[in-house]
Amino acid sequence: MTEYNNKNISIFSDLNDLDYLRLSKLQAIGYDVVHFFKKIPTFFVNLFKAAIAIIKGFFVKIKDECVDIVTTFTNGDWKTKVSYLVMGFGSIARGQILRGLLFLVFEIVFIVYMAVAGFYWLGKYSTLGTLKSGSVYDPILDTYVRVEGDNSFKILLYGTLTILFIIAFIYTWRLNVKQNRIAESILKSGKKLKSGKEDLQSMMDDEFHKTLLALPVFGIFTFTVFPIIFMILVAFTNYDAAHDGYSNLFTWVGLSNFNSLFSINTGTDNLSFAFGEILSWTLMWAVLATFTNYFLGMLVAIMINKKGIKFKKMWRGILVLTSAVPQFISLLYVSKMFAVNGVLNGILVKWGIIHDLSEYLRLWESPTTARIMVVLINVWIGIPYLMLIATGILMNIPTDLYESASVDGANTWQQYTKITLPYMLFVTGPYLLTSFIGNINNFNVIFLLSGGGPTNPKLLTSAGAAGDTDLLITWLFKIVNGAGSKYYLASVIGIMIFVVVASLSLIVYNVMPSTRNEEDYS
Amino acid sequence: MARVKLTNVQKVYDKNVIAVNDFNLDIKDKEFVVFVGPSGCGKSTTLRMIAGLEEISGGTIEIDGVVVNDLQPKDRDIAMVFQNYALYPHLSVFENIAFPLRIQKMPQDEIFKRVTNAAEILGITDYLNRKPRALSGGQRQRVAIGRAMVRDSKVFLMDEPLSNLDAKLRNQMRAEIILLRQKINTTFVYVTHDQTEAMTLGDRIVIMKDGLIQQVGTPDEVFDMPKNLFVAEFIGAPKMNTFETDLIREGNEYYVKPFGAKIKVDGSKGEELKKADIKPAKVILGVRPEHILLGHEGDPDSIECTVQVNEMMGSELHLHVLTKDNTSLIVRVPTVNLTHEQRDAMVNGHKIYITFAGKVMHFFDKETKNNLLY
Amino acid sequence: MDKKKQHMGMKAKTRLSNGIIYTALTIISIIWLFPFFCLVCESFRCESTYQVEYIIPQKWGFDNYINLFTKTDFPIWFKNTFIIALFVSVLQTIIVLCMSYTLSRLRFKSRKPLMNLMLILGMFPGFLSLILLYKLLSSWGMTNANSIPGLILVYVASSGMGYYVSKGYFDTIPRSLDEAARVDGCTRAQVLTKVILPLAKPIVIYTILTAFMGPWGDFMLANYVAHATSAGMNVAVGLQNMIGTSSSMAANYTMFCAGGVIVAIPITILFMALQKYYVEGVTGGAVKG
Repeated sequence: MTEYNNKNISIFSDLNDLDYLRLSKLQAIGYDVVHFFKKIPTFFVNLFKAAIAIIKGFFVKIKDECVDIVTTFTNGDWKTKVSYLVMGFGSIARGQILRGLLFLVFEIVFIVYMAVAGFYWLGKYSTLGTLKSGSVYDPILDTYVRVEGDNSFKILLYGTLTILFIIAFIYTWRLNVKQNRIAESILKSGKKLKSGKEDLQSMMDDEFHKTLLALPVFGIFTFTVFPIIFMILVAFTNYDAAHDGYSNLFTWVGLSNFNSLFSINTGTDNLSFAFGEILSWTLMWAVLATFTNYFLGMLVAIMINKKGIKFKKMWRGILVLTSAVPQFISLLYVSKMFAVNGVLNGILVKWGIIHDLSEYLRLWESPTTARIMVVLINVWIGIPYLMLIATGILMNIPTDLYESASVDGANTWQQYTKITLPYMLFVTGPYLLTSFIGNINNFNVIFLLSGGGPTNPKLLTSAGAAGDTDLLITWLFKIVNGAGSKYYLASVIGIMIFVVVASLSLIVYNVMPSTRNEEDYS
Repeated sequence: MARVKLTNVQKVYDKNVIAVNDFNLDIKDKEFVVFVGPSGCGKSTTLRMIAGLEEISGGTIEIDGVVVNDLQPKDRDIAMVFQNYALYPHLSVFENIAFPLRIQKMPQDEIFKRVTNAAEILGITDYLNRKPRALSGGQRQRVAIGRAMVRDSKVFLMDEPLSNLDAKLRNQMRAEIILLRQKINTTFVYVTHDQTEAMTLGDRIVIMKDGLIQQVGTPDEVFDMPKNLFVAEFIGAPKMNTFETDLIREGNEYYVKPFGAKIKVDGSKGEELKKADIKPAKVILGVRPEHILLGHEGDPDSIECTVQVNEMMGSELHLHVLTKDNTSLIVRVPTVNLTHEQRDAMVNGHKIYITFAGKVMHFFDKETKNNLLY
Repeated sequence: MDKKKQHMGMKAKTRLSNGIIYTALTIISIIWLFPFFCLVCESFRCESTYQVEYIIPQKWGFDNYINLFTKTDFPIWFKNTFIIALFVSVLQTIIVLCMSYTLSRLRFKSRKPLMNLMLILGMFPGFLSLILLYKLLSSWGMTNANSIPGLILVYVASSGMGYYVSKGYFDTIPRSLDEAARVDGCTRAQVLTKVILPLAKPIVIYTILTAFMGPWGDFMLANYVAHATSAGMNVAVGLQNMIGTSSSMAANYTMFCAGGVIVAIPITILFMALQKYYVEGVTGGAVKG
């Protein structure tokens, strides 16, 4: 005991549990902070190790697959061997007609597609087209004839599709080989293979997930995954309004788009400056918007749920009612209320606080007030939703926690900080993260309220103008819709948004306990 | 109405966590088998593998001679009662019980006949039109049993069906399960962590620990001749007293020397020791609390102890006593033969003298923890 | 004596704090309702069409509503949005339920990778993929005047990614119910239709409700797909265009207010009627997501 008390404890050294408990509150916080930062290098080292392990695992997997393909071939019977060329042959020969036919049809479709179109697009993929459309002199007809040239957009699109198709084919071929191996071993052990009918039945039972996921996953792949892959590729080209792909070809430019985002800073093109400014405001906005909503929503929920407060349903109903009105109406209308000739100034004049036009509040025209306004109005929009979530959680906190706390002598404020807040933070951890990400990409609130304005000349770039309340996502929107339609720049910014969001999430996931283990809740 | 045979059954999670290892058991037709063990011993996992709710990592399970490893639960013809009842909240009691029959597309007349019949046996006819949430715990459990009953399935599986009930209701339902068993006469596999349930219900008991079968046997067998220290301590309440002591041999007789006393191993145990020609050694001695007798001061076979806790159970006293070398023992003393003076002598802090009944002692190897006589 | 005093003090303290809370809640309610009150008032203003600095109209009337339906494409926008919302609410609900049920209840090899993939995809701004989708849709003739099928496709196609809330709800339904049903003879498909769906009524209604409300408020996607042709717009884009420039603002402002009221009424009624389920969905599913 005494030995313990005399020990010198430094918050910079690694402490065991008991030593940690001896720290005063302030020291404990200091210890946590120090060790959070101390952990960061190991975090990155671990991340790096994990990445290497994944890559290693990937190659090991490929090696294993190759070995399996070879052994299946050498050990397999003739039906299996034929299947290496004619997909599905083994299945058909063993009586699994339905499976076999699916494989076979897929192979035929693939071969026909590759012959007819695939190789054509692949051949042009590395250059994205060389032949411009235009008129060429035809000596026989003695006139200029229109020649259909290449279309970079189509080459990029179909070329990418072809590559994905090839990957899908290799995967299916591998599946076909595996099928043969499994079928052989089943037959060897004296069991029967599944018939086509049984296959179909198992789609409703054992393989029900395939049936249910087919449509949603197909949708996600065609309408989200593929477009994202495509746009990532666009970031490495010079695709914009001037290089639209058919009247003027575009081509691969390597990393130069990323380069220019970080380095270009001239009088007329403040690209890197604008990116930095808009990124920092985006993050600031996301923090402000998330936490103001979170704490104020919680506060309102606590007020409504306090014991002894009457008309709980009415208070809740009023707030929820406002979130029923489509956001674009409330946002557009409220933004007009605070405009120069809006209701706010009208009221102020009526009350005699301001008198003439020169005194009118121009809230949307100064960067600071515009920024404050979007945050405030976002609170107005967001509180009802947060209030509902917080209410649900507050009702889940066991009342005996509060009873025991009040027996232990905690006052209301202590109960809030020691019970309510930690509980809320723990349970809503994942929600906070998603809402933070949502706010980084909160297009509606910014675009409908301020439109990104007021326009800031310092943020002028070759891609167009930008304003002080512009988020990366509204900037991206403006770039695409602007005169230059710099798709490549939009793609680069999109990728940067991803990088920001992904690294933040990665850190948060590693710090917050409640984001892990989905099974813990159930 | 079927035989269930498990051969080398194994369950492995995440490639390295072994939940059930090399499980071999032949459950006879119409037998009532109870799997018992502490939580995490793999008993529920084994049951769920029989039901088809967990994949079987190795070995085979046969029901009625058919290997069911690759069959879906619905194709195994089994009925199951779950720990938390698993009643469908949106269906009435009638529809809950009728659910498996409706899935089979049985005609309404037949369904009605079967459900009302089952309800009558279980005494829930009055609640047939209620929703499960309007029922008490015991009633819900009956509905769950009813749902399993109506199917006339080959095997009746029960996964800790009584552990959500309070103590009184549990005793009552336990008796009802015994009655039910006589009525529906099929193969039962019952999982519990409660040794009392296992002892009272099972024809045979399978005691498990860490995924391994420790012993299989009738309630008498596992009580009288536990295969190892774990089974000895697990079966019986209060728990068997176990401690290290010397086993010595003098001529033709064996003696144990616990806490300075010298007690003769007599009766059948002495004979068995002789027959097995056990070498004298340091052993772990096991004595059940009910096999500790009151002794007299000064006798060579009596041990001096101090009473620490005195639990009056009515028909008997449970004494927690401390020997001179600070070993804690539990003694069960029937109250029927005690005089007032004797009872007064057993209050906390008082000295008492005890001795062990030599013919019901258990001897375990110090290293392997196995019963020396098994 | 001392004790009694303390007791009185506590009571008075409670009354004081409750008084503060009532005042705060009243002020909050006024702040939250005030804009909608103004919106309704302005929609009935007949003396001017531009933005004014007072709230109560000098001349009340239905002029704005009549003009909205006779002189603008508002009926078309409303019809477009309604059709879109109807299709989206049906299709999106099916997809979201398929997805969330599968990820909550069924265990298969690619489950975790799939969930991780969707987590990563969610980190890309959705607008990015729209650039390509717009080109594709326009090559299929599904933009501008024909934007209804295009928008439905865009809304529905990726809606599987929004499975979190309903998965959270499904997670709360005990798994032993599935197991009991499977032992009782159900295939996995029957487990879904006979046990889980009847139990998941609140989340089904929540999903339908949010899917139906989504298209009424969407501006970004709709504006991109149908920005040029009035016939293909939804109410959000149409009404925003009405007050997009300062001259159109002067001519259409009160009409915009009327449009806002017309759009808000059916949604609000629907919302109020199904509020119970909405609250259950938000509080039950969102937190666990």
